[in-house]
Amino acid sequence: MKWRFALLVALVLLLALARLSVGPHLDGAGAMHFGVAMPTAETLPFRANAVAGAAVVGLLLGLAGLALQALLRNPLASPYTLGVSSGASFGVACVLAIAATTGISTQALGGEFGGAVFGAALSLVLVWMLAKRATGRDGVALALAGIVLGGVMSSGAMLLEQIVPRGLRGDLLAWMAGRIPELPDPSALVALWILGVLALIVLWKAAHLLDLLMLDDDEAAAAGVRLASTRAGLFIIGGLLAAAAVSFAGPIGFVGLVAPHTARLFIGHRHRLLVPSTALCGVIVVLSADLLRQGLDVGTGRLPVGVITALAGGPFFLWLLSRSRRGGSEWNL
Amino acid sequence: MEPLITFSRVCMHFSTRSVITNALADIDASFARGSTTAIVGANASGKSTMLRIAAGVLAPSTGRVESSAVHSALKRAFVPQRGSCAADFSVEELVSLGTSTRCAEQARVECALDAVGLASRRAVRYHSLSGGEQQRVRVARAIAQIASPNGSVLLLDEPFSSLDPAEVARLVRALRVFAQEGGSVILSLHDAGLAREVAHDAIALRMGRVIAHGRAHEVLSPAILSEVYAHEMLEASTTARWLRPTL
Repeated sequence: MKWRFALLVALVLLLALARLSVGPHLDGAGAMHFGVAMPTAETLPFRANAVAGAAVVGLLLGLAGLALQALLRNPLASPYTLGVSSGASFGVACVLAIAATTGISTQALGGEFGGAVFGAALSLVLVWMLAKRATGRDGVALALAGIVLGGVMSSGAMLLEQIVPRGLRGDLLAWMAGRIPELPDPSALVALWILGVLALIVLWKAAHLLDLLMLDDDEAAAAGVRLASTRAGLFIIGGLLAAAAVSFAGPIGFVGLVAPHTARLFIGHRHRLLVPSTALCGVIVVLSADLLRQGLDVGTGRLPVGVITALAGGPFFLWLLSRSRRGGSEWNL
Repeated sequence: MEPLITFSRVCMHFSTRSVITNALADIDASFARGSTTAIVGANASGKSTMLRIAAGVLAPSTGRVESSAVHSALKRAFVPQRGSCAADFSVEELVSLGTSTRCAEQARVECALDAVGLASRRAVRYHSLSGGEQQRVRVARAIAQIASPNGSVLLLDEPFSSLDPAEVARLVRALRVFAQEGGSVILSLHDAGLAREVAHDAIALRMGRVIAHGRAHEVLSPAILSEVYAHEMLEASTTARWLRPTL
């Protein structure tokens, strides 16, 4: 098992090095090109930011997916399928629209991060309540409620795009497609890394509780798990991590679903290894998508990273759903 | 013998918007160290509710539950009737949940696997096991959770329901060892004859009330069982008769 974990670490390093070697660069005549080119003093900071940004977004989304799956004992849970990512987008769009129409500064409204946290929490609570009312947190009901609510939230965000000034609208649209900023606010990047590493430590320390949470509620409680406080903690961690990732990079879909399941495939189901492996798989997914987009130009520039993760993650989700409907063990991929 | 758990005038009500269900009413009972107690009763008589309260996962509506098996997972373990596991652990992984990698705890896992006869199936995934094997895995996990039987309580809700007779005999032996080492076993059973073979003491419940509480051979008499099940009981058990030579 340890060599598999080492393989994941090696893959992360390899992808990071590859991403540093690929990206926009200028030729002797000053024309912009995309593709493989060794980093120069001018391009290295941008590429290093992209690596750091993609890695932290993957880390946050992967761990958010794992926390939400443990919270709901449901393999279909993820920030994207539960509408959390769309809710966070809606929250950010709300902040920007209110700021644009009232003249209040975005900081006074809690900033993009505050809006994302509010929207993510709102979505999570609504999905939970809707699914519980329907069938008592049944897996498919949860996923359906999340997809429907996610659609509504996305539509709400698109509606709000019409309110913001024309100059801001393009930025908002690009942000909603999901992108890894190559020139991020350094303090935001550092804050996200601190949050991601703290969440990794907390979840790793709670690995035995997450294992026991997979049991029947009564068995878990009798084995010493404080169900209410543990679930509240997972709810906060899942929502906060997803909101942080969305506020930084926009709604990048399916990472929170693909990363935990890929990690289970490599490492197994015990959370002591699954937690760090999920973080690594999240990093691998987003770094791979960001690397891939460097070579994919459909005539309008590089594709947004969220488009690539959605194109790859959508079929993965459908495959998972079909396994679940057939009554197989959807946790064991 | 010193009681490990004592119920004093315990009542349990479950309420919805329009209906209040009295699951247990004025239950007085005690469970001694080194004993095995069977709780028998018809469906919905309150057996599972009583076990859940004893396990500490449900708080009684009124009354008091005192336990010298302190509120520690190392002293008290519970296996519900229809348990589940959301993750597809291997048998060994599931039995070792909640234990550390220390040698003493791993030895407990080995003993528990041996006790339920699943040591050779340790690498098999939980979801590919039969219903009876899953039941045994969950009992093994509960046994492994407890640090030492002495002064501990093992609560099992219908533990034999999915088992074949040979596995019933194996599990009964494991429970006897647990009780002999100073633990207390409390289990709910439908099969009164099997309860008489397995348990020292018995509690007969009817509609949430204790009809009889005492030595198993006295409580599980045809007269009391007829009252418990509201049906004339002539023959105690088929399973116990099959198993008697091995028990």
